[in-house]
Amino acid sequence: MDTLNLLVQGFISAGTPINLLWCLLGCTIGTAVGVLPGIGPATAVAMLLPITLKVEPTASMIFFAGIYYGAMYGGSTTSILLNTPGEAGSMVTAMEGNKMAKHGRAGAALATSAIGSFVAGTIATVIVTFFAPVVANYAVRLGPPEYFLLMVLAFCTVSAVLGQSTLRGLTALGIGLAMGLVGIDQISGHARYTLGVPEMMDGLEVVLIAVGLFAVAEALYAVLYEGRTVETQNMLSKVHMTGADWRRSWPAWLRATAIGTPFGCIPAGGSEIPTFLSYATEKKLAKPEYRREFGSIGAIEGVAGPEAANNAAITATLIPLLTLGIPTSNTTAILLGAFQNYGIQPGPQLFDKNSTLVWALIASLYIGNVMLLVLNLPLVGLWVKLLKIPKSYLYAGILIFATVGVYGMRQSAFDLVLLYAIGLLGVVMRRFSLPTAPVVVGMILGPLAEAQMRNALSIGEGKWSVFVERPMSLFLLLVVIIVLTLPRLMRLRKALKSR
Amino acid sequence: MKIEQAGVGAGVLGLGLLLGAGATQFSGEAGYGGVGPNFLPWVVSALLVLCGGLLLWEAASGGFRDLEQAPGEASGHWPGFVWVSVGLLANAVLITRIGFILSCTLCFVLAVRAFKSSEGRLDLSLRGLLVDTLVGLAIAAPVYWMFTQLLSINLPGLTSSGWL
Repeated sequence: MDTLNLLVQGFISAGTPINLLWCLLGCTIGTAVGVLPGIGPATAVAMLLPITLKVEPTASMIFFAGIYYGAMYGGSTTSILLNTPGEAGSMVTAMEGNKMAKHGRAGAALATSAIGSFVAGTIATVIVTFFAPVVANYAVRLGPPEYFLLMVLAFCTVSAVLGQSTLRGLTALGIGLAMGLVGIDQISGHARYTLGVPEMMDGLEVVLIAVGLFAVAEALYAVLYEGRTVETQNMLSKVHMTGADWRRSWPAWLRATAIGTPFGCIPAGGSEIPTFLSYATEKKLAKPEYRREFGSIGAIEGVAGPEAANNAAITATLIPLLTLGIPTSNTTAILLGAFQNYGIQPGPQLFDKNSTLVWALIASLYIGNVMLLVLNLPLVGLWVKLLKIPKSYLYAGILIFATVGVYGMRQSAFDLVLLYAIGLLGVVMRRFSLPTAPVVVGMILGPLAEAQMRNALSIGEGKWSVFVERPMSLFLLLVVIIVLTLPRLMRLRKALKSR
Repeated sequence: MKIEQAGVGAGVLGLGLLLGAGATQFSGEAGYGGVGPNFLPWVVSALLVLCGGLLLWEAASGGFRDLEQAPGEASGHWPGFVWVSVGLLANAVLITRIGFILSCTLCFVLAVRAFKSSEGRLDLSLRGLLVDTLVGLAIAAPVYWMFTQLLSINLPGLTSSGWL
């Protein structure tokens, strides 16, 4: 009952006109950046981080969260109509949704993805509401050794498990950790890699790295390699689902929520795996007469499932972020940066120390999901108009916003040169398919992990055995080893079998 | 040997070595911590040297593994790249001199030239320049007012009024 009381309190503070306005603004911007190619939620949140200098924490976290999950709703519109998935999570939607749109069923695909996102988002929010305080209660008992290993686990999963190549993932992680090293060492106060530049003492700005890697790199890449790429747009049909569509969609939504939520909860985030799993499940469970539609004229289950799984996973990533302070995706890493700008460290204490903020944020998720349903169903035609903006204006405009974000944070023209350099790095990374999430996660989580490691070692009086002597940390160590070795062993077994 | 990929590997290797060189300068005094402020730099340096070496090896022996075709065309469109680079760097140089609005508008106009040139229809006509300048102003000015007036975040202006 305690949780419900706190949630009611949360609704009261999230329901003030000004906070509702921030939520609406966040959802609107989120949908827009989701729809627009070339800019995603991570970039949008990063570019708007300077508002943390003036806006109070509750309002800005509600705003950022709105952008975060709003972009998931908007992203599906683009992937259905344009066949260019906005982010990795909508890749599967693009496959099936685009087939539906080509056969004149764009409206039904849009409807099932918006309603599915709403259903999954709301269920996942309920799970966040009741599950997060439990995790937080438990997490209070974790000490530095356990935290350190949880962070190592997050590093391993974002770099070594997700993505095409472990080597390139680890390379990206190394680059991110190196960026995180710049500045003053938290424990001893030594300056590291500052090259005598006073601006570097505070470390590299998250905004700078994120905006450089995503926005500027995206623009440079588009100029260099995508000038001649012509996109075809599918016709929008009436946004409406028939009775049969409903009957086929709702089981898919629920199954996908069950698949997506756990994936968001564990520090192994990313929505690629749950969306693909949900797609495979739906294809397998579909009745034979519907299974033929997969990959040919487009099956509605193939849109309903992955979209719902995506939204459930995205919402559930807030659990590790809020209760453990561990981000598992680009956007959550930047949200952690936003918390840090306020001097708030997410973690188990957050639910005690900043309980008003947390519960207002959770309540705003319920409100935001309703807003997004309204923004995306009846108003979908409006968003589609955004796709008519010429690419040249779109990317050039993004560069203006990139300047505001980076310059507004520290008022340094030097940062703008650095921004360009990071943009070049991003182009190279994209060209050679080095993932970006490990860079951002490594940069933000690296310094925290280092501090936890050194604290852990001082608890163990300088001995590394502290990591195996405590049962919980031994368990986490084993999980890390399993996560690193299991996929390889399975591949090896498959290879041996097929011989 | 894939030259470009080898370049990436060499870059990573070089970064690792630089970090290692830097790490020799840091104190290893551990205090109660068991390890000092130079520990993680050494680890990251070793990781990058190792990754760089392996990337070089992959590049030399048939190219990066599990590499999907990078999206877009095979070769880059460099004239467009120069346009947008000039726009971004000019912005860095000029922002404190001519103010946020004008500097960003210039960057916008140059970036639009870049994208049009990459689409094969570079537009240098006076009319095109004028239209793009107006569009750039219409984006930069409201953004500037929103940040300086509503959020009171400092952005450089041409005058100190906060409006231009």
